[in-house]
Amino acid sequence: MEIVWQWFTAPLQFQFMVQALFVSVLVGAICAVLSCYLTLKGWALMGDAVSHAVLPGVVLAYGLQIPLALGAFVFGLGSVLLIGLIKARTRVKEDAAIGLVFTGFFAFGLVLISKLPSNIDLMHILFGNLLGISPENLIQTIVITVIATIGLFIFRKDLLLFCFDPVHARTIGLNTAFLYYLLLIILALTIVAAQQTVGIILVISMLITPGSTAYLLTDNFDRMTILAVLSAVFSSVLGTYLSYHFDASPAGCIVVLQTLIFLMTMIFAPKYGLIARR
Amino acid sequence: MQNPTIELENVTVSYDRTVALHGANLRVNQGSIAGIVGMNGSGKSTLFKAIMGLEKLRSGRVLIQGKSINKIHQRNLLAYIPQTEAVDWDFPISVYDVVMMGRYGYMNCLRIPREIDRKIVQQSLAKTQLTGLEQRQIGELSGGQKKRTFLARTLAQQGEIILLDEPFAGVDVKTEKAIIELLIELRDLGKTILISTHDLSSIATFCDQVILVNKTILAYGTIADVFTPENLSRTFGGSVPQGLF
Repeated sequence: MEIVWQWFTAPLQFQFMVQALFVSVLVGAICAVLSCYLTLKGWALMGDAVSHAVLPGVVLAYGLQIPLALGAFVFGLGSVLLIGLIKARTRVKEDAAIGLVFTGFFAFGLVLISKLPSNIDLMHILFGNLLGISPENLIQTIVITVIATIGLFIFRKDLLLFCFDPVHARTIGLNTAFLYYLLLIILALTIVAAQQTVGIILVISMLITPGSTAYLLTDNFDRMTILAVLSAVFSSVLGTYLSYHFDASPAGCIVVLQTLIFLMTMIFAPKYGLIARR
Repeated sequence: MQNPTIELENVTVSYDRTVALHGANLRVNQGSIAGIVGMNGSGKSTLFKAIMGLEKLRSGRVLIQGKSINKIHQRNLLAYIPQTEAVDWDFPISVYDVVMMGRYGYMNCLRIPREIDRKIVQQSLAKTQLTGLEQRQIGELSGGQKKRTFLARTLAQQGEIILLDEPFAGVDVKTEKAIIELLIELRDLGKTILISTHDLSSIATFCDQVILVNKTILAYGTIADVFTPENLSRTFGGSVPQGLF
């Protein structure tokens, strides 16, 4: 018992660990809430695209000394608009449009990193830097989480209706274009916040896995949200500890844990698990 | 002649270079049931979307109660019942929550139900014989119950114009009869009802008007006037369904 206690408390003497745990819980929770909407809306691929497409925005924002969120937002939105344009105006299908736009944006980001005279660490952007959070990044993560939480709370019922039946939403006078961009803005903001913990490559896992896990466990949206948050926070905390004790990648640990929880759920879920459905 | 509640003037809708609906004209009177008849892919869904203001019109205009739908964004005037295939039945939502969504247009921006909203939802559930199934997840319903859930949402919304997309597909005869009875009741309350279907046999019994669609509106009017062999052959491309006459 003493050893277990030590395992959890000893790292807390370091401020960077306290910060890392705090940020990973914050990011895990907001990503989990958003993941419920993304999985139900069928936006998993869209989330993947946006998370990669923000790279040039993040790099330029570093270079221009403007908030990372702004750069990420501009390019995240730009990628979605370009995908929409290609889909609407050419005979190229949506999945191909998504694939070619986000890789193009991502590649542009790589070129910028290698050419801009700055000390950006590509590895930190791609895979996060949970154990080395700067004060500015800490504040940025808190601000983004608060904004995204407020947005998701106020519009939670409208967004749910938008995911479920956008035509009905339109006919009763809801502004579905607004809801579309609201969800997109929150997505871009959350990706910026999550970039700190897990990086832009693995953020998509934070945005799909908790929601998918919870989806297999309940038929009630509120419960789904709570379960998603619980599984994400559990993975974030345990993953951060594991990465400390085994000197492993924090992003890797968190995402592996989330995936393990999903696989367990997929097999053992009471109603929708593989065993129950046999 | 009554004032039309739905008017289409020379409406054309196209996707890319394919014209889905060409130069459609239509007048539907208030307090009537109109059946929209056409084959799959004939433009029935496009016609619905145009009436609901969801399609960009290449030409022409759509007037609802004399006003442009795009300009007024009238809340709760139109109620729409989607096709069964268009609904995600795995969605984590209960019958009660779906019906409550019919009330969102009347609530404040947080969509917190008031006493009146709960009361109207209960009444709508009772009227569609769904009382006792409120907490069911929508995927756990029978085909008829699924249809009635969306019908209950429409009742809760208290819309003036009700559009039903293939309401009789995949439901049993008993449910079909119950739906028709409810629609007639709504019509007698002054509601205007549009039903799209490719099944001619049932609509003849209760529709006041039929609208024949094949890339445009070929004809509309009473069944006696419109259901001529020539019109039907133009609607169905020469293959008039058996058992109609």
